[in-house]
Amino acid sequence: MFDDVKSVMTRVLSFGLFLVLGISLVGSIVGFLVAGVSGICAALAGGSAVFIFTGMTALSILIGSRLPLAGFVGAVLGGWLVKMVLFLIMFTLLDGAPWLTIEARPVVFFTIVAAVVGGLILDTLIVSKARFPVIPTKS
Amino acid sequence: MYSVATVTAAAAGMTGSLGNVGYGLAAIGAGIGIGLVVSKTIESIARQPELASRLQVTMWIGIAFTEALALIALATPFIFGK
Repeated sequence: MFDDVKSVMTRVLSFGLFLVLGISLVGSIVGFLVAGVSGICAALAGGSAVFIFTGMTALSILIGSRLPLAGFVGAVLGGWLVKMVLFLIMFTLLDGAPWLTIEARPVVFFTIVAAVVGGLILDTLIVSKARFPVIPTKS
Repeated sequence: MYSVATVTAAAAGMTGSLGNVGYGLAAIGAGIGIGLVVSKTIESIARQPELASRLQVTMWIGIAFTEALALIALATPFIFGK
């Protein structure tokens, strides 16, 4: 069977969730060894930040694909703008959080980098394996 | 023309958060990248509407790679900040 935007984005969101959970788990273990309980919270915060950040893009394309072209562009770019503002607020709050110790700060960064790079590899694999019809189909 | 000493003296007198400047610099590249990806996708869908589904997913990969840079840039205060 052929794929469409909905099936690819659903796959990306579900596999992405498992990937982020795995990386957050590994990050929590490393974080606990490095910075104690604060390290666990740091890894979970970093992992959830990446899932929301990348998940919102996939969700905006999923919603936008049901709209006409102008609506699609508006959903994707508008979603991106909202996401950047949300992240500025989130990272500002996280930066000033009293529970985030100086030892736990790199745990946030490295969890984010690992989840982003892992997510990109996963996304590329899913899209490269997807089968799209060249001619329109009714299915 | 301003001399190097004048510019350096002016920079030394600057006050405020450098994080704001850093965010602006991080957003420039990602903003240009997203704009290019979306504009080319609109152009391609206008030329071949039957490929819209395929182009939307391909566009999303382009956006994912572009926004990864912005996300990492936003997270750098956690290692360079304090």
